[in-house]
Amino acid sequence: MSDLPILSIILFCPLVAFVATILLPESKATAIKSVNAFAGLVSLILSLIIWSQYDKAAGGFQMMEDIPWVSEIGIHYAIGVDGISVVLTLLNAIVFFTGVLSMWTLEKRVKEYFAFMSLLVFGVFGVFISLDIFVFFFFYEVAVLPMYPLIAIWGSTRKEYSAMKLTLFLMVGSALLFPGLIALYVESGGETWNLVTLSAQGTFSKGFQIFIYPLLYVGFGILAGMWPFHSWSPIGHVAAPTAVSMLHAGVLMKLGAYGILRIAIGVLPLGAAFWAPTFAFAATVGIVYGAFVAMRQTDFKYVIGFSSVSHMGIVLLGLNTLGVDGTNGAVFQMFAHGVMTALFFSAVGFIYDQTHDRDIRNFGGLVGQIPVATSFFIMAALCGMGVPGFASFWAELLVFIAALKVFPLMGIAAIAGLIFTAAYILRVLGKAIFGPKNPKWDHLVEPTAFLTIPRIILIAVLLFFGFVPSVMLDMIGSVTGGR
Amino acid sequence: MNSPELFCPEFALLLGALLSFACAAIGTSARTAWMVSLAAAIIAVGTSALALPYEGQPFFADIYTVDAFSQVLKLGISMALLFAIAIAQRQDSTCSQARPEVHFFFYLSSLGMMMLVSATELLTLYVALELSAYGLYILAALHRRERIGSEAAAKYILFGAAASAISLYGISLIYGATQTTYIAQIASSGGSPLLIAGIVLTLAGVLYKLAAFPVHAWAPDTYQGAPHEASVFLGTASKVAAVGLLLRVLSMAGSEAEFLRTTLIVVSVLSMSVGNLSALFQKDFKRLLGFSAVAHAGYLLLGLLCFSKLGAAAAIFYVLTYVPIVVCAFLVISAISTNGCNPSIASLAGLYKRSPLLGLVLLVAMFGLAGIPPTPGLAGKWFLFSAVIENGHLWLVLVAAINATISLYYYLMVVKAAYLAPPEDDEGEIRLSPTYAITAFVAIALVVFMGFYPAPIWTLASTAASALF
Repeated sequence: MSDLPILSIILFCPLVAFVATILLPESKATAIKSVNAFAGLVSLILSLIIWSQYDKAAGGFQMMEDIPWVSEIGIHYAIGVDGISVVLTLLNAIVFFTGVLSMWTLEKRVKEYFAFMSLLVFGVFGVFISLDIFVFFFFYEVAVLPMYPLIAIWGSTRKEYSAMKLTLFLMVGSALLFPGLIALYVESGGETWNLVTLSAQGTFSKGFQIFIYPLLYVGFGILAGMWPFHSWSPIGHVAAPTAVSMLHAGVLMKLGAYGILRIAIGVLPLGAAFWAPTFAFAATVGIVYGAFVAMRQTDFKYVIGFSSVSHMGIVLLGLNTLGVDGTNGAVFQMFAHGVMTALFFSAVGFIYDQTHDRDIRNFGGLVGQIPVATSFFIMAALCGMGVPGFASFWAELLVFIAALKVFPLMGIAAIAGLIFTAAYILRVLGKAIFGPKNPKWDHLVEPTAFLTIPRIILIAVLLFFGFVPSVMLDMIGSVTGGR
Repeated sequence: MNSPELFCPEFALLLGALLSFACAAIGTSARTAWMVSLAAAIIAVGTSALALPYEGQPFFADIYTVDAFSQVLKLGISMALLFAIAIAQRQDSTCSQARPEVHFFFYLSSLGMMMLVSATELLTLYVALELSAYGLYILAALHRRERIGSEAAAKYILFGAAASAISLYGISLIYGATQTTYIAQIASSGGSPLLIAGIVLTLAGVLYKLAAFPVHAWAPDTYQGAPHEASVFLGTASKVAAVGLLLRVLSMAGSEAEFLRTTLIVVSVLSMSVGNLSALFQKDFKRLLGFSAVAHAGYLLLGLLCFSKLGAAAAIFYVLTYVPIVVCAFLVISAISTNGCNPSIASLAGLYKRSPLLGLVLLVAMFGLAGIPPTPGLAGKWFLFSAVIENGHLWLVLVAAINATISLYYYLMVVKAAYLAPPEDDEGEIRLSPTYAITAFVAIALVVFMGFYPAPIWTLASTAASALF
């Protein structure tokens, strides 16, 4: 078993699905969906195998593969996972599988939809496991671009504008990454793009690190929805179709945070230490600002969109504490937020597909009309508030403890942001889910048993890691060195 | 090795030229002429591939050099020629009485280009430059609508004549400064202000071929007004030759490279900015590609201004991968053009439905030009930027990368037109001829393969560059 290139197999699962999707005729919609669901299931099983095979005691990068790619300038197809990549690979597999199932009722241009979606997932897997900067960036771009057609074709609400805005914002991020990433190669002597080698202590002078770090942090940060470059994110969420919102908020934004953790902080620790207060401040503003804006929104998806800005602010704050607890919490939050927003969008998407309305004010007492469907939303909402028993409780707790130690004032502000978070979530629950019943929606039907599967998986994951956080923390801790 | 067989890629083109001239002279149909020409082009590509390892000087010493550098570019030129001829199967936009003759000019011009990348003596270089240009001047004028064709050709020829005259003046200054016309001797002669002035003036003619600022203004008009197959030839083969020519001319600078670098940085930044910003407002697809070519000239210059092996290799890699990408774009243009009209961007509406294959070809072309994986556009930019940063110009990479972001906007607008808008009612399915379908598959396969696995092309490019540095 250990001889199998398991990481390459998981990477190529969505690519195989992509090729199969291209080759199948448009009329075979069910076959296309099945192929993608199967690829999702296989990658889910494989990522669980990776999780169980990863030797936490040994730590470091494991299951490495290294094939010279453009060997003359030191580019290698180098992949491997550490505890953090294992967690995020699992996250991607979960969202891929449940995302395909959530889009089972799609009828418009099915073939192209799943082609772009599997390409996106392929890119995301690639980013999480690559150890070579060129390969990393290659997959990063593969993951970002399919977003444009996915939103522009299948989206709603000013979809073309949102898709273009999202793409251009992310490409500005890439424009910052180009010089930043290549400078690492040149400065280190032009021998290798390997992240493990470049992360070794003393490769880069302090002045160089301080100079390059903001390019990388902001470049990746734009994708992570960092304030003040977040404005593409809520409108992108709103315009995107359900599974794309799930992938976008659930996984794609994590690519940005992962890039910061793996490359910006991992390779340039001195630069990170210099800039941490500045970027922690931006993250704190993001937490509070996102929550504030979410309070005033009337569209379900805008509420979740801005809550993502707020929750990703927590991730970034955790990363900027540069300590064990903060990093543990940030990675845990990346995972928890990924699953939680996937559930959120999945639940809202189900309601929107029937009503074609997302205005909170037009709803009331949904819980009496479609109790099962709304219960998914309520679960996600509880998790979003950080209620104990859900995964995000532990994640946020760790980040806030770390933040209070390192940046006490910002820690307090961020915790205060939690109050607003609770406020906007309770406001949605009070208006749309509970509250006086709106008879207009009496005809809504419950999801079929099949369609509840993806939602139940997501809830189960959230609860599992909520009750047994040590499983997650052991895995992340094998990298950060803390439990 | 000093035998005539070193000259065999050129011989193959000469053969093609003679055959297509014969076809035109005895008045065969356009279709027969095309088939003869296609067969000759396949032979030319095969010969160029076989001739890759050749090295030596087939004629007088130091005048004409066959080395890895020239042979790689010759392969690029013959590939571009083959693609252009494949696209010339449909000649709707060419004036009908000239259709069989088109091939003769293709071959003549490619012959000039091949000689251009081998010429290592200034007069030989100038003669080859003119040989490659004359065929193109005529090709540009062959649009079936006389007015459009005349405009395209007039702009091209007037610019070309002026640029060529300036170049010639530059060459005379270089001779005055160094008393020699051999590039190798000039490079080792030690710099003088006169030499630098000569090189800068010579560059005018070279930058004109590359369509770089400030001698770029012909590009959008000529791209727009030339027949489709002439535009694709202009946009691919001519670029490959220009990169070769530019590297040779710049190698004369020797120790005086620093001053030239500043000039080239300015030219590069202005080319990409002017090209990209102007392309934002275009409605005609061919004209948009004309401006995009100006922007790409700016990117190519990034590699050339480094005066390093990495930079030269990156530029060669970029231009070699650029060929099939541009071919993809023009394949779509030629396939959807009705009665030889230029397609507007709006007329791409519903392409995904009218022909899924063409939709994919267009997607690959636009992603390739924008530098999005899995096309080699990303690797190409990555290598160019690596060379520039190795040279210490971090900000220049930032400028170029932001330019690439701007360009993404108009490339995505094209994708949007093809994939989002529904087809017009009266426009049915597009049927592709077998030649077009095969060309489409080959071009896509090349682009995607090079995108996933750039190593073979990089090895070629870097071998070519090591012949110079």
